[in-house]
Amino acid sequence: MQVFSTPKTIKENSSFTFCPGCDHGVALKLVAMVLDELNLQEQTIAVASSGCSVLLYDFLDVDCIESPHGRACAVATGIKRAHKAQGNNKFVFTYQGDGDFASIGISESLHSALRGENITAICINNTNYGMTGGQMGPTSTLGQITSTSPLGRNKEYHGFPIKTAEHIALCDGASFSARVALYDVKNIINAKNTIKKAFEYQKEGLGFSFVEILSSCPTNWKLSPQDSHKKIEEELSKTYKLGIFKDIKNE
Amino acid sequence: MSEKQLLKGNIAIAKAALNCGCSCYFGYPITPQTEIGEFLSLEMQERNLAYVCAESEIGAINMALGAASTGAKVMTSSSSCAVSLMQEALSYACSDELPIVLVNVMRAGPGQGYIFPSQGDYNQSTIGGGNGDYKIIVLSPSNVQECIELTYKAFYLAQKYRNPVILLADGLLGQMAEPAKLFDNPYPNIDNTSWILNGSNGRKSRSIHSLEPSQLKLNQHIFNLHKKYQAIEQNEVDYEEYLCDDADIIITSFGSLARHSKAVCNHYREKGIKMGLFRPKTLYPFPYKRLNELSKKTKLFIDIEMNLGQMLRDVRLSILSNAQVSFIGKPVGDWLKKEELINAIDNIAKEQYASI
Repeated sequence: MQVFSTPKTIKENSSFTFCPGCDHGVALKLVAMVLDELNLQEQTIAVASSGCSVLLYDFLDVDCIESPHGRACAVATGIKRAHKAQGNNKFVFTYQGDGDFASIGISESLHSALRGENITAICINNTNYGMTGGQMGPTSTLGQITSTSPLGRNKEYHGFPIKTAEHIALCDGASFSARVALYDVKNIINAKNTIKKAFEYQKEGLGFSFVEILSSCPTNWKLSPQDSHKKIEEELSKTYKLGIFKDIKNE
Repeated sequence: MSEKQLLKGNIAIAKAALNCGCSCYFGYPITPQTEIGEFLSLEMQERNLAYVCAESEIGAINMALGAASTGAKVMTSSSSCAVSLMQEALSYACSDELPIVLVNVMRAGPGQGYIFPSQGDYNQSTIGGGNGDYKIIVLSPSNVQECIELTYKAFYLAQKYRNPVILLADGLLGQMAEPAKLFDNPYPNIDNTSWILNGSNGRKSRSIHSLEPSQLKLNQHIFNLHKKYQAIEQNEVDYEEYLCDDADIIITSFGSLARHSKAVCNHYREKGIKMGLFRPKTLYPFPYKRLNELSKKTKLFIDIEMNLGQMLRDVRLSILSNAQVSFIGKPVGDWLKKEELINAIDNIAKEQYASI
């Protein structure tokens, strides 16, 4: 029998403040487990952003800075480069929502990938602006009803959603770009291995590594946690295909 | 290092930044400050320092924000309409208490305006365009030598108070070459080991953030910042007085325009009229107290600016109703010349004093 304990990189006595059934907690725990496994905790600087992901520093026991909305990759660029200029190699990753990474911050995100900044970005894609109550975001799918697309996202009226991991994969500076999901154990294990790979690529100095995580938002989707996972399995992972879109080692 | 050399303002700023250990520069091109980034690009790459041609000014200032959290000496430079893009991050940097040096080589506005020199960003710099109760230290050089001195001071004050500092130059100063001495940085380094983010090896993890869901804690944080600003106002006010002691008329003027104002003083002194110049070198903290003292024994103040009266507000707040305040200004372009100023002052004086 295997007994699971809280990862060392999760703060003692902290409890997640995410909504019940939200996948953020699972994603953060995976990040913490990988930081433990790679022995990175004490050399890490994490960059939190605006939205549900902002409270990162309440849960993760690593040095952490909050970035203005969307600017996490620029802030991470500054941290990584400043340490390098001082002769230090620190581990730097961002933890952002899809609105943060792919809407307001797409310029900073894409250009960090294009420059091949040696950082890792984790993007939680729950297809809406969760913190503000479920508005249409860059990843809201066609037909998706949100508080600002009450009749469903319409391609003529609202335009199309973005496939973030595929866009990052097109950047020459990206070493790794993948999309994972968390709707069952198999996928959770795959997600963890994928995050690990992305982190390892940074450790090896290969350039920008990226993991998009399809995550549930039961509160704003107005679904039970179980039905939210079913939606990811049956609908979202068809629109947003799971897999690796760029792997510099397999080119 | 001790010899005078012919230096352009922009290059002087870049050299002084390198001299005092600036290890990170992030920037985006905009006239009339582009030479700062151009000069530093080679110098910093050759020294293995951090230099990024940022995707935008928003990118640049946020890179500066991240880099500052490591304790590095960090600079970005820009101009007017592009500094507008940086206001969000400046508000964050104040709340996060991060030392960033921002050089604004002013051009004409509003909007895109043009590359003509101007002093139109006094309000943007001293009042700010970001949200919340914050203050940014603003230093105003008036010649190339002061570009060097105040660049050193900007890095020092940024580290000392853990606060952004704006070096507010203008297109004339940035583009003008004159002899200046590139002396060594006179300021000590400030110990930052208690707050920087460099990994939690051997200590508790730290976080730097402005978000604070507790009303009590957020109020306390803002009060603490306010106390720091009060200390800055107490300790760091800097100004130049030229022939103010016995003056009946005092010109107030800042930046490179103050040089013309000084020439005007000399002109009137030769004619036996007691005129002086008061030039704030710190626009924030503004020298309210000293200007108020001077206003009790001076009849007339003439504020001269290359804008339509931005510092004028602070001048009036200093002088209150103690003396008369007049204003001469022009928003952009060729600096007001000595002759133009004398003509304008003669007209003001005729209204005030029949004897001139």
